[in-house]
Order: sequence, then structure tokens, then C-alpha cells
Amino acid sequence: MSINMMKSAGLAIGILIGLVVAVALILISNNNRKVRTEYDERQLRVRGDAYRYAFYSVIICEVILLILEFGEVALPIPAYVLHFGAIIIGCLVLCTYCIWKDAYWGLNNNRRRYGIILVVAGLLNAFPIYGSLSHRSTLDFPYVNLLACIMLLVVGAELLLKQFLDRRAENSGESA
Amino acid sequence: MKNLKLKSARAAKDLSQDELAKLCGVSRQTISAIEKGDYNPTINLCIAICKALDKTLDELFWEG
Repeated sequence: MSINMMKSAGLAIGILIGLVVAVALILISNNNRKVRTEYDERQLRVRGDAYRYAFYSVIICEVILLILEFGEVALPIPAYVLHFGAIIIGCLVLCTYCIWKDAYWGLNNNRRRYGIILVVAGLLNAFPIYGSLSHRSTLDFPYVNLLACIMLLVVGAELLLKQFLDRRAENSGESA
Repeated sequence: MKNLKLKSARAAKDLSQDELAKLCGVSRQTISAIEKGDYNPTINLCIAICKALDKTLDELFWEG
């Protein structure tokens, strides 16, 4: 087995383990110990729109990458990072739209537990970046972790800002 | 258009948006959106709200 094949197999196994861990964390984080997050009818409608916009975003990013590749434009970042970036942009569009339309949190989500998971996930992704920077290694820079960190930071900041604005509106009686 | 009838019926029952939302199995923001007129609920949710507030569909949702 070549080194590249081993790398691919390692990545696939890593993703599978990540999925198992994610399901376990969701089980712990939902109040009714269900994997499926429950949303009401308005939230489901909003999330439908959010998935549509996220899909369009990924398609636009991939088309841009295709054009660049077709034109043989050399970028200083590995190609897999660019494709992962497209996925991250799609996720960000989905999360941002849901957060600002009040469809991010499900009815059975425990926000505090999810918050802790977000912070832990951010730290787990930050460690390889810190390690790489401290060893001044640019050969295997963990771009994937960097992108995941940026996404978690943006989502976390948006959640906090939305919570702050909601509380302010609640205090001034706007939500009533 | 704002649904003031829903808001006043909720207030008459001394329920907060959060309490009504829990009774109907939806989020507080959904009740808020209905009251503000930003969201048109399905008939199922209208019925759930009416049951929670002891009102009829006409009383809460008919614009006559």
C-alpha cells in the first residue's frame, strides 16, 4: 500500500471516528437523549431555505475552483484545502442563516452543553495549529484544523452576539 | 400584519411567550414571529395555540 493510499485510509478512518464521537456528543447534549434534534414548523422552513443557500454557496465555490483548475492557476495552498474551504463556507452560510433567523437551536438542545462542545472542538483544532507554529513547520501545516477553527470561532461569535441582542430586545420589550 | 388578538389572549391567560411556546411544542421565537405577523402558522399550530388559550380559530386568526 502506497503512502498516499495510507493517508487516504487514515483520513477516512478519522472521519468515521469523528462521526461516531459526534453522534455520542449529540446524544449527551440533547435534553431528551435523542440523536435527532427537534425543530418546530417555522424552524424547519427556515432551515430548508438555509440548506438551499448553503448548497448554492458550495456550488459557486466549486465552480470557481473548477475555473481556476481549468485555467491551470497555481495557488499556494493544497487543492484539498480549497475544497474543504468550500465545504466550510457552505456550513457557515447554513449556520449564519439559521442563527439570525432563530432556527439554529432545536427544541431539545441543551445550549450550555453544546457551548462546551464548541469550545472543546475549537481547542482540539487549535492544538495542531499551535504545534505547527511553535515548531515553525510549514510542510504539513494543519490547514483543515485552521479552517475548522475559523468556522467554530465565527459560529461561536455569532451565537454570542445573537444571544446578547435577543436579551437586549427582551429587556426593552421588543420581542413581546 | 400583527396578531394583536393572539397577544391579548395570551396576556389574558397570564402566559409568557415562552410558556405558550412550551404548551404548543414550538420555540418562543415562533410565537413571537406569529404575534409580530412575520410568520403564518399552519392549521395544526393554530389549533394547538387555540387549545392552549381556550379560544376558537375565528377568535384568534380570523381577520373580519
